[in-house]
Amino acid sequence: MSAVSPSTAPAWSRWWNASGVTRLRREGAVAPVLAFVVFFVVYVIINPALLTRFQLQTAANLVVPLVLVALAQLVIVLVGGIDISIGAIMSLANVVFAVQLETMPVPVAILLSLGVGLGCGLFNGFLVAYGGLPAIAVTLASAFIFGSLAREVLDAPGGGVTKEIYLATSGELLPYLPVSLVWLAVIAVLLWLLLQRTSLGRHIYGVGSNMESVRAAGLNAKLTKLLAFGLAGVLTSLGAMMLASSTVTGDPRSGDPYLLSSIAAVALAGAVFTGGRGSIIGTILAACTLGLIGNLLFFARVNSYWQYVISALIIVAVVGIPVVWRKVAFRVKGNRS
Amino acid sequence: MSTVAPSVGNAAGASGPGSGSSGSGSGSSGAGDSPDGSGRNTGATGRSTFGSVIARVPRAVWPLVAFLVLFGIGGIIRPNLITVDALIGTATFAIILAIASFGQTIAVIQAGIDLSVPNTIGFSALAFLTLVGPLGPFGAFVAALLAGAVIGFLNGIVIAKLGLTPIVTTIAMNGLLFGVILLAFNFSELTVTPDFVIAMTSAKISVLGLSMPAVLPLGLGLMLVLQLVLSFTGWGRSLFVVGSAAETARLAGLPVDRIRVAGYMLSGGLAAFAGIVIVGYYQQASATMGASYLLSSVAAVVVGGASIFGGRGSVVGTVGGALVLAQVSTLVAVLNLGANIQQLIYGVIILLVISLYGRRRA
Repeated sequence: MSAVSPSTAPAWSRWWNASGVTRLRREGAVAPVLAFVVFFVVYVIINPALLTRFQLQTAANLVVPLVLVALAQLVIVLVGGIDISIGAIMSLANVVFAVQLETMPVPVAILLSLGVGLGCGLFNGFLVAYGGLPAIAVTLASAFIFGSLAREVLDAPGGGVTKEIYLATSGELLPYLPVSLVWLAVIAVLLWLLLQRTSLGRHIYGVGSNMESVRAAGLNAKLTKLLAFGLAGVLTSLGAMMLASSTVTGDPRSGDPYLLSSIAAVALAGAVFTGGRGSIIGTILAACTLGLIGNLLFFARVNSYWQYVISALIIVAVVGIPVVWRKVAFRVKGNRS
Repeated sequence: MSTVAPSVGNAAGASGPGSGSSGSGSGSSGAGDSPDGSGRNTGATGRSTFGSVIARVPRAVWPLVAFLVLFGIGGIIRPNLITVDALIGTATFAIILAIASFGQTIAVIQAGIDLSVPNTIGFSALAFLTLVGPLGPFGAFVAALLAGAVIGFLNGIVIAKLGLTPIVTTIAMNGLLFGVILLAFNFSELTVTPDFVIAMTSAKISVLGLSMPAVLPLGLGLMLVLQLVLSFTGWGRSLFVVGSAAETARLAGLPVDRIRVAGYMLSGGLAAFAGIVIVGYYQQASATMGASYLLSSVAAVVVGGASIFGGRGSVVGTVGGALVLAQVSTLVAVLNLGANIQQLIYGVIILLVISLYGRRRA
C-alpha cells in the first residue's frame, strides 16, 4: 500500500503492489501459498487422477477437519495466545455430536456440539482474558479436563453418525464438487468477512499486534480476547463434526493428533506467535499441504512414513528461509551504508 | 530471578513447616509483584511477619508440602496407605515422570519449551536397544545419550540462530523424529533389554534397609546433580538470566546463543536418558512410547512451580510436582474413580497452581 506504483511501472511490479498481494505479503502468506502451488503441481504430475471425482473427495474429506482446526488455532494465535487444549476440545465436540445423534434430531446434535465448543473456548478465554493467566498454561490444564470429559461421554469409538450425515457433509451430495469443500468455503468466507469486515475482527488483529494501544484507544481488549477464544471453540467444533461425519464414527481420542498439526499449520502459514499477523488463505493452504503429503507419497510409491520428515522440513524451510533472508539482507544493507 | 517466590498469600500451605531453612536466593523483599495495576494483587497487601516468612520459603518447597498433605489425606481415607511401601510405590512412579520432565524443566527455565520430548524419548530408547548388538551395552548407552544431545543441539541452533519460536521448532523436530522412528527401526527385533539397564532401573535394591527399585535413588541422585549445576555453576545461573531477560543478558555481554544451545542440548540429553530409563523399567518399547509425556512433562514442571515464561524453576520443584501428580493417581486408584477422573484432577491442580502464582510478570 505504501508505495503507490506509477502507471509506467513494469507489470510484475504493479502485480506485486496490488492490494491483495500486499495483504498476503504483510500477513506472511506468500511463502505458504507458493509452497502449496509447488506441492499441488507436483501432486498432479505424479497422480493426475487426483482431479477425478472420487480422489478429490477423499482428499477433501481428509484435510477439511485439519483446515478448520488450524483456522481455530489461527484465531487464538492472532490475539497472541496458543491453544494446547484444541485437540481435547475437538474430541469432546466430536463425541458429543456422535452420542447425541443416537437420540436427538440432527439439528439439536449440531447445536449441542457447537455449544460444547463455544463453552470450552469461553472457559479458556475467560481465564486468559479476565484471569490474566497465560494461555499456554490455562489450555494445558483444560487439555486434561476436556480430554477426560470426552472419555466420560464416550469411552470407545461409536455413536450414531448415519450414512445420511456422511452424504450431506462428505459424500456425493453435489454433482461435481466434493461437498466438504463447499462447507469449508462457506465457513472460510464467513470467517474472512468476520475478521476483515467487522469491528470485532479488526479488534482481534489489533489486540494481538498492540495490546496497549488498543486499550488506550478505548476498545475492550479483554472482551475481544474472550470472543476470540469462543470463536475458536466454535470453529474447532465444526472441524470435529466434519471429522465425525467423514469417518462415520465418534471417537474420544480423535482430536489428539490435531493439537500439534494445527500449530504446525499455523506456523507454516506465516502467522506470528506473538499475535496480530496471520492469513486465512495462508492457513487453509498450509493445512492442505501438510494434510496431503502422506497421500502424495502414497501415489509416488514412497514409504508414507516419510511424510513426518518431509512435513517438518517444509515447516522449517518455509518459516526459516524468510528469517534467514531478512538477516542476510540486513547484513548486506548494513555493509553498504 | 531467583527461585524464591514472592508468593501471593498462600492458603494451601498455612501449616508450612519450619521457616525457610534454605533461603538460598536474594528474597525480593519488595512490595510483592511489580505495579501491574488493575487491582489483581489480592492477598499480598499488608503483609505480616508470618507473610514475609512465607514469602521467603523457596518455591520448590510448596509442591513437597502439597504432596505431604495429599499423602496425609490418603492416610485418612485408607490408613494402610501411610506405609513406607506405599510411599516408595508412589515415589517410583513419580521419579520416572520426573526424570522425563528434567529436560523440560531446563527448557522452560530458559524461556523455551521442548515439545520434542515424547519422540526424543522414543528415539533414544529404540536407538539404544538397536545399538546394544553392534556397540555393546555401554557403547549403546553413550550413543543414545549423544543422539539426544544432537537432537537438542539442532533444536537450539534453529531457535537461537534462526530465531524460530521454540514451540514451532520442537513440534517440527517431534514430527521429524516420529518419521525417523517409523523408518529406521525394526520393532520385531527390539525385545531384549540389557541387564545393566535393568540393574539401574527396575531391579530391587536395598537402601538403608528399605527395598526399592533402583530407579528411585538414581532419579534422586540425578536431581541432586542437576540442582547443583543450576544453582551453583555460572552456566546454570546464566540460564535463569537468559530465561528472564534475554536482551538484558545480551547487552551485559553473556553469550546468550551459546547458553541457549547448551540448554537445549542438556534438555535433549536428559530426555534421551529418560527414554533409556523407561525402557529399562517397563521393559517394552514402541513407536509411541513417549506420547503420554508430551503434556504430563509440562504439567510436572508447571506444578513444580516453574514460570512458563522462563527465568524461574527448579528440578527439585519438578520432582515435587511429579510427586503431587503421582499421589493423585494413587488416591484415584484407591478410591476406584478411574483414569479419566485422574486426568480431570490433573487439570484442576494445574489451574489451581497457575492461579496461585502463574501470572505474567509485568
